[in-house]
Amino acid sequence: MNAKILSLAITSMMLILIVDLVRRKKLTFKYASGWFLVLFGAMALAFFEESVFVLSRALGFELPSNFIFFAGLSGFVVLSLLMTIFLCQQNQRNDKVAQKLGLLEEELERLKKRTEG
Amino acid sequence: MDQPRILIIVPAFNEKKNISRTLEDIRACGVAADLVVIDDGSQDGTSGVVRACGVRVVALPFNLGIGGAVQTGFCYALRNGYDVAVQIDGDGQHDTAYVKDLLVPILTGKADIAVGSRFIPPFLGYRSSFVRRLGILFFASLISFLTRCRVTDPTSGFRAFNRRALALFADEYPQDYPEPESIVLAHKSGLTLKEVPVEMRARRHGHSSIRYLYTLYYMTKVTLAILLDMLKRQQKG
Repeated sequence: MNAKILSLAITSMMLILIVDLVRRKKLTFKYASGWFLVLFGAMALAFFEESVFVLSRALGFELPSNFIFFAGLSGFVVLSLLMTIFLCQQNQRNDKVAQKLGLLEEELERLKKRTEG
Repeated sequence: MDQPRILIIVPAFNEKKNISRTLEDIRACGVAADLVVIDDGSQDGTSGVVRACGVRVVALPFNLGIGGAVQTGFCYALRNGYDVAVQIDGDGQHDTAYVKDLLVPILTGKADIAVGSRFIPPFLGYRSSFVRRLGILFFASLISFLTRCRVTDPTSGFRAFNRRALALFADEYPQDYPEPESIVLAHKSGLTLKEVPVEMRARRHGHSSIRYLYTLYYMTKVTLAILLDMLKRQQKG
């Protein structure tokens, strides 16, 4: 029973934290959605704890705790893959902007010279 | 047809000591071409040296790596309406006397990309260290096998491009260690490539960007990247 209360408390706190981060515009909804998904999943499992036993037995885990660890780890692997994708996207955009900036600066310099000269 | 407009692109990163010699060599090579240096976020004032030589410079705000720098040059060529671009490294390794030879297949329409190769007769002069030659041989075999075209010097950055090749590479160009990979990309997009015999020199100052410790990383990265490129969807030509 204690474990149930503890996990519900922690997931609720996380949920409140993420909602607050979105509210304060530290996180956009696009990036928060993954966290919401994981948190709602964790809350559902904590609330209906019987489902943990049923699921772990059905999937062939010896102990329900193993199943929980496995599920948690899988969730984080997906989240970190998403992070890497976002990071790469940002990196590519960054590079494109740097290239454009260099090109525009050179063009500006040439234009300036032409108007001065 | 009008005289084609030619641009020589010189990527440079912390090449203060080499760059002015390289620029002089290029000016002396006797090809009517404009010149632009892409300063890849140098910390040693390379841009200033280039400007003092009276050469245009595109200064990137931070280091993008050779791929990003060269690609900036391709974008520059397209934006400013050049028909042909030649890539020459800023470290003085490429003998500018061969720019004319490199331009021949492009100007005659025989190829979309011309690559200066150290391994085609008759010159066969300086050809890098033994270890690096083994690496080059490995990539040459891999790329020749995958593209079914004979390539002898896939790591050479001494190249000429027509507008078709420029348009492809301005849009998509590998970021680090781009040379071998770009050959595969070009092949997948249906561009033709021709190698031209050239001579190269050892570097005057400083180290090449590919040091011994990185050799293993370089080999693995480029091999994987080439194999992944083969799986990518077909580019439209």
